[in-house]
Amino acid sequence: MIEGTGWLKGFVITFRNMLRGPITVRYPEHKLTLPERSRWAVQQRLNDDGSPRCTACLICVKECPDDVLYIETSAAEGGGKHIDRYVYEIGACMMCGLCVEACPFSAIEMSHEYELATRHGGDLVRVLLQDVDAASPRRERKGEADA
Amino acid sequence: MSLFLAILLRFVGLVALLLVNGVVLIYMLRKVLARLHLRIGPNRTGPWGLLQTTADVAKLLTKEDLRATPTDRLLFNTAPYLVFVPAFMAYIPIALSPVLVAAHLDTGPLFVFAVLSMVPLGVVMAGWASNSKWSLIGGMRAAGLQIAYEVPLLLSALGPVMIAGSLDPLRIVAAQSGTWLGFIPRWFVLPQIVAFFIYAIASQAETQQTPFDMSEAESELICGFSNEYGGMRFGFLYLAEFSNMFIASAVGTLLFFGGWQLPWVATPLWLAPIVFIVKVYIGIYFMMWARGSLPRFRMDQLLGFAWKVLIPVSLVWVVLSGVVIRLVSR
Amino acid sequence: MTGVQSILPEGTQPTPMLPKGLKRVPSGVDQLATEHLILNVGPQHPSTHGVLHMLVELDGEEVIAAEADIGFLHRGIEKLAESRRYHQMGTILDRADYVSGFHTETAFALATEKLAEIEVPRKASWIRSLVMELNRCASHYVWLGPVGMDAGAMAPFLYLMREREMILDVLEAISGSRMMFNYVRPGGVVRDLPAGIDAPLRAWLAIADKYLGETEDLLGGNEIFRARMKGVGVIAPETALAFGMSGACLRSSGIDFDLRKARPYCAYGEIDFDVPLGTVGDAFDRYKVRVEEIHQSVRIVRQLLDGMPEGEHTSKVAKALRPPAGEVYAAVESPRGELGIHLISDGGPTPYRLRLRSPAYYNLGVADELLAGGLIADMIVSLGSLDIVLGEIDR
Repeated sequence: MIEGTGWLKGFVITFRNMLRGPITVRYPEHKLTLPERSRWAVQQRLNDDGSPRCTACLICVKECPDDVLYIETSAAEGGGKHIDRYVYEIGACMMCGLCVEACPFSAIEMSHEYELATRHGGDLVRVLLQDVDAASPRRERKGEADA
Repeated sequence: MSLFLAILLRFVGLVALLLVNGVVLIYMLRKVLARLHLRIGPNRTGPWGLLQTTADVAKLLTKEDLRATPTDRLLFNTAPYLVFVPAFMAYIPIALSPVLVAAHLDTGPLFVFAVLSMVPLGVVMAGWASNSKWSLIGGMRAAGLQIAYEVPLLLSALGPVMIAGSLDPLRIVAAQSGTWLGFIPRWFVLPQIVAFFIYAIASQAETQQTPFDMSEAESELICGFSNEYGGMRFGFLYLAEFSNMFIASAVGTLLFFGGWQLPWVATPLWLAPIVFIVKVYIGIYFMMWARGSLPRFRMDQLLGFAWKVLIPVSLVWVVLSGVVIRLVSR
Repeated sequence: MTGVQSILPEGTQPTPMLPKGLKRVPSGVDQLATEHLILNVGPQHPSTHGVLHMLVELDGEEVIAAEADIGFLHRGIEKLAESRRYHQMGTILDRADYVSGFHTETAFALATEKLAEIEVPRKASWIRSLVMELNRCASHYVWLGPVGMDAGAMAPFLYLMREREMILDVLEAISGSRMMFNYVRPGGVVRDLPAGIDAPLRAWLAIADKYLGETEDLLGGNEIFRARMKGVGVIAPETALAFGMSGACLRSSGIDFDLRKARPYCAYGEIDFDVPLGTVGDAFDRYKVRVEEIHQSVRIVRQLLDGMPEGEHTSKVAKALRPPAGEVYAAVESPRGELGIHLISDGGPTPYRLRLRSPAYYNLGVADELLAGGLIADMIVSLGSLDIVLGEIDR
């Protein structure tokens, strides 16, 4: 049954691999850098002055296959839209990135935030924007053309 | 010192040896397998994960003693002890040094093998009493395997015993002192190389490690006969396995590797237990290395290997070495 | 029995649920009242590679009859697809065959392009081939390791994880995700290959053959592994054809059918590679064929990387794609076999019907015939050698 020496070779190989040392990354102390395209939690991109780039056009809401985004809007005082809440249900999000692809104003992006465990179920619903005026789509496009 | 106190001390000493061994060996197995597999192994509990096994023991001890209703209560409860007690008893004649031995038995290795041959009974009992199909198959496999490999195990031990002319561990070790031709240690592994390989294979099977881990072939029978056990009952089954590993390596060291003696130089009495333990652990490392490197036999191949290869070879070897020893000693 | 309405007719007793073929018959040993053992293997068994439930009839350790019971991972992907727009489809198709998502994505993209008559840029085809071959290696790695584990060898599994990790890192850099890529779309791919992807890919190419050789020594070079695999689970060519098997399972029976050669798609028409074939059709042949396929994939990746054309990574496709009404079938050679997408459109923004021809489903069909007659250990090995992915079987 043991007619050859192939099994001895196995010993040599495992020993060689033992000398190569472990490949484990000791996670909380050491972290790997993620590739630039890595898709994790969705986050808002803000202008330099802290105002949102979101125009509340609802394209991302319609694009999401799992309906994890919703935006509650009202009319702003000086015309335009006012974002009451921009809600992101991260617990149901599969990080496919379709919303970010669809956003015509680059108002959202896929962050590299991957440590997403929470202590409370309520933390799985995130309010990304609350009670702010939405950016004007016209001004935004103009600004991009200037830049 | 009263007789009672002496017995108590030896008992406590044996229990301590067994428990410390169990804890150290489980840690060692995890670390060695991890390194062979490019992993780190336990590294969170205590420095370098040293306290991991202790934590596991604490967990097993505090776990609820669970028993499924359809199990056979009496057999289910006794089986772990039937596995554990022989493993414990096997420590009795193991001599760590000329003086450090629980009881000096003239028939040391024989006693170990005799006691360990009771283990399959407990294993079958555990498998049957669990009232689980997986456990039953695992128990039957374990029994078939242990019965098959006990024969070559015993026969392989005969060679060294014949050279030494005694079953007494002290005399077997004493016969291995000195050198041949001035530089080769007189360890029986050299003249008895075939017997040693048979012993190594058979003891690997007796301790139920890959490639012979039939009874708990994880990918087939999940956990074999210990499927339904939890808490400290499982702990006993598990501990018995590791103490069997120590026993197998210790007997191998006594029979083939000169026991507590250092090669070439005389061993001081205080150093003897350390030398012995180191040798035993090197042996265990090789057993673990095999465990990390080899796939598993199939049951029929395994039994075929024992009955058709190992037993005939060891029988022939016993006759051969008997004749040679007779001729040489003339 | 209050409140519970029995669905059985009056007076009938519920019969024990035993599928046909499995019988609790007397084993006929020495006049004893023993009978065959019916054993449930899975769905929580470590070696059923997912949530497969096997019902086996045992005489001692010998398997008399076996029956596969599937459906534990059914998520209604085909039905869900009817409510997804064409560019959203990747998100669910990735989850059908979760070990090689790129193949399902590409099959769907090919079907849609056929239906809507979309031209695909040459570069997009090459990128698709590249990621598919990488994915094939990752998939074969994660088959080879567990099949070693089925046979009791744990080391190869963890060694192969090291190589697989390198591939997944590359795939993450390309697509943004390690397994749920959502990268191939009708018309091309989402983004061009990232800058600097060459280095990690070449690093993998440099070690792939060498490390795979080590694994071959550990498994195929080992006498015990050979004894376990040879002559176990033999599939005759006629049986393989009769069950509609494809992929390595079919090729190990000696039938030369590889979609990459038979109906070249993407860049495969321009690439030079061999299709390994088996002779006996046993588990060891399947092992050899798959290992050789990894070597061939390494060869293909090297060619693709050297000859990667310049150009656009996608053609202009309307976001709200409405292909004309019609019916198409497109298939790719996934690591498991012919993975086909049968797509019916009624002209709307979502498919009218999408059907997945999942190769592992057909390959598993042979299990009932394959497993009878062996021992439990043989059953585990033959089942493992089929390379089943339950996500794709159950959909």
